[in-house]
Amino acid sequence: MAAHLCIAAALSSAAIAEPSNVSFLGSTMTPAQIQTGEALYAETCASCHGENREGQPDWRRRLETGRMPAPPQDGTGHTFTHSDADLFAMTKFGIEAVVPGYESDMPPFEGVLSDPEIVAILAFLKARWPEEKLRFQAALPSMRSSPDG
Amino acid sequence: MTIPKTDGLHRRAFLGATAAACIVGTAPPLIAAPSPQVRALVFAGSTVLAAGNGLMRSQNGGATWRAAAGPDQELRALTTHPQRPDRVVAALDAHGLAVSDDAGASWRKAGAGLPAVAIDALATAATTPDTLYAAIAGDGLWRSEDAGETWAFVMDRPFLAEAERDVTALASVDLASGMGGIWLYAGTTFGMQRVPDCFCRWQDVQPGNALDALVPGGDAPETQPLPEGQPVRALVSPAAAPARLYAALPSGIWSTDDAGMVWRKTSDVEVLAIAVDPATPLSLVAATQGALTYSRDGGETWTAGAVI
Repeated sequence: MAAHLCIAAALSSAAIAEPSNVSFLGSTMTPAQIQTGEALYAETCASCHGENREGQPDWRRRLETGRMPAPPQDGTGHTFTHSDADLFAMTKFGIEAVVPGYESDMPPFEGVLSDPEIVAILAFLKARWPEEKLRFQAALPSMRSSPDG
Repeated sequence: MTIPKTDGLHRRAFLGATAAACIVGTAPPLIAAPSPQVRALVFAGSTVLAAGNGLMRSQNGGATWRAAAGPDQELRALTTHPQRPDRVVAALDAHGLAVSDDAGASWRKAGAGLPAVAIDALATAATTPDTLYAAIAGDGLWRSEDAGETWAFVMDRPFLAEAERDVTALASVDLASGMGGIWLYAGTTFGMQRVPDCFCRWQDVQPGNALDALVPGGDAPETQPLPEGQPVRALVSPAAAPARLYAALPSGIWSTDDAGMVWRKTSDVEVLAIAVDPATPLSLVAATQGALTYSRDGGETWTAGAVI
């Protein structure tokens, strides 16, 4: 919850551009935030999730290590089946923050990205999802039950 | 494309096997070979189909059986469409699928995109019946979203006891996963797991939804899982009561009324295949090593069927 409050404060101070039709944790994202997210994605995420958010090749098959490849973030994966709060937590603290015991090659980005930067990246990804995926995510029980979602 | 079919090719085997049919109780009961070697059972509306080295049909819940037309190959798995009882999808023994839209009168091949190896289990998605799932040994789970015509790989095999395990049985269970869809349960060569139908992660059956179940803390409700490490030969869930499941293990038939939190052994009968009437959750049909049997009390007692 503290993380959510921190994000909300950061978003308020950053909201200088016109709103888009994408929200994150209940706040409408601005085009400037989404643009920032796109640049940060290219710097921080694209090496694994793909320049065009296509994911690693054969991403549904387990690697020799037993871990799963990085999934697509273009709406063809399963990211849209997670709530905003879970996506934020997985990015900041690692997948294990949401799925205890789950081993993943994705590192936690706490200390690498600020909370507003993580929000901007996730807002950029959501802004590129097909409309039906946005509706699917918005209807998740975990989105409806979130006090700020 | 059509494929050859056979009508009653193995009826003699069924007749021989069931000639010694007897009332079946909860103790290990059944008759010896010659066996009809039924590998798969399924309800198609009120009709029951039994497949293996031939196709059999029952119109009375498994009490009596007749040989039916089927593809001229042994069948490994069956699935049906809940609103179209004449539609039957069968996994062929060598590889690939055959589909009938006229209750078996004619068959055509399907399964574009599937690898040319045998399918071990088939299931129809409970809420979207044009979506089918197929499990392939040594490979994983495949999905068709056009009623079996084309297929794509969706998920690796469950990872249990430090190894990937082949899926031997599939059941789409109409209970919310918490991730916008429902659950797909899988029996494996080493126990049972389930996965949300977004296919993010195999997991044990635990309380709550796909993610709630993984958050530690709180009072853990009572659980009684299936015996650890046993192969699950068949797994079914009736549409009318999706939280009820039946699992066929070497140790007998097990059932649950809470989607797999607490299992209890219903019968010592060792069966190879099992089907449940989608509208009547206590009505079961099962195949043992050599006989077809049925139960009207959720598997507590069993009666041998007869071929006529």
